[in-house]
Amino acid sequence: MEAALNGPPEWLERVVLLAIPPAAHEAVAGDLWETYQNPGQYAVEALQTVPFVVWSQIRRNLNLPALILQSALIFLCFGGPVTLMALPLLMLREAYRPVTRPSPRRAIREAILLSSGAMVLLLVSMSLHSPVRAGVDSFTWLSLFLAALFLSPFLCLFRAGLIMQGDHSQPLVAGSLPKDALAGAYQNFQQRAFCSNLLESMALVFAAACGFFFAWDALLVGLFVIVALCLMLDSVPRFSQACDFTSLRARYQQELARQGQLRRFLHWLWFAPVLVALHDRLTLGESIAALLNCVAAAILCFLVMALNREYGGRVQEQIGLLDRMRETSPPDRALP
Amino acid sequence: MESLGQFEQVVLTAILALDDNAYGVTIHAKVEELSHPKKIARGAVYATLDRMEDKALISSWLSEPTRERGGRSRRHYRLEKSGEKALKESARTAQRLIETITQSLGGLAWKPR
Repeated sequence: MEAALNGPPEWLERVVLLAIPPAAHEAVAGDLWETYQNPGQYAVEALQTVPFVVWSQIRRNLNLPALILQSALIFLCFGGPVTLMALPLLMLREAYRPVTRPSPRRAIREAILLSSGAMVLLLVSMSLHSPVRAGVDSFTWLSLFLAALFLSPFLCLFRAGLIMQGDHSQPLVAGSLPKDALAGAYQNFQQRAFCSNLLESMALVFAAACGFFFAWDALLVGLFVIVALCLMLDSVPRFSQACDFTSLRARYQQELARQGQLRRFLHWLWFAPVLVALHDRLTLGESIAALLNCVAAAILCFLVMALNREYGGRVQEQIGLLDRMRETSPPDRALP
Repeated sequence: MESLGQFEQVVLTAILALDDNAYGVTIHAKVEELSHPKKIARGAVYATLDRMEDKALISSWLSEPTRERGGRSRRHYRLEKSGEKALKESARTAQRLIETITQSLGGLAWKPR
């Protein structure tokens, strides 16, 4: 294949890179560069290629249970039209999921943005003669405003804590490995996933029992029970060493991705009862409670997304490491 | 066993033919060659590769980054056992089709009326 000595203009490449989902950056952008002839051909080629790649990434990353749960929560809070508008965005978000863990700077920026949003919401409510303002004294407003102000360091600490915890957890595999070591790492991962799924399914059953006792929504209790049963049935380890290094690596990557999807759904599921409860209180009609519930719901969603971002990033990093892993021969055994 | 669509058969055949040199650009070129005179969008090849990887018919890995790709790696593909099996089954079906057509029309070089 003829090597392209000149690449596309930097600005054009940046635009194309923005459009290509991160998981396909390396292969697709590299292929486009390799076949580069002139800016026009490059742009046309990118325009023809990117929609297929985006669609493929949506299909690959689509976490249907999580999407249904998120849509149900949005539908509950905002109704049908907003859900219809949010669905394509949620699906696109899946395609453009980052392949690395969040950087501390970005995490802190997001936390500050959220708490600033909460403060702005409070300020606007204070200044407008809205029904929300009625019956609330200035001292309460000031307390709320200060609470929102202190939210920022709390959220920053939470996200920084998550990142630090991720930094401390050792990668499952890295660099080059002999096949047996990779098989061992895969087996360890499966066993850990098995234990954690079993524990989580028991916790879900316990939560469902509590929910039944405290008269939760019957749908939620049913969902918890069904998910617990699915987890128990799913958590039987499947392991086979009868394949070569490349096949083993592919299986490991698929299992990592599957467990990552499962975890993302479970994070949302655990917080669903709280979000439903907040929504129920929102409809009671108490103005100040309504405002506080909105802020609480936004913070909760932020926490779940932060958890998913951190965990998902770690899984993607692991898949990336496996992608670049080479097989080494096993170390020579010492002669007797 | 996984049954293959026509385009999947073409892509798998391209990977098989290219052996160690099977990555996006070369697979697309080979697929165009096999599907001649039809033009094939490279995006369609990527989407099919992803789908077949999810079905565990093929597996992929990244090579070392190279200068001619702007410092990016190639994603190489390889047929898995299940992919080989599915492709052989498709080839057997195609063989039966060719035999039947040859018997009925007296060869493949027939012209539609």
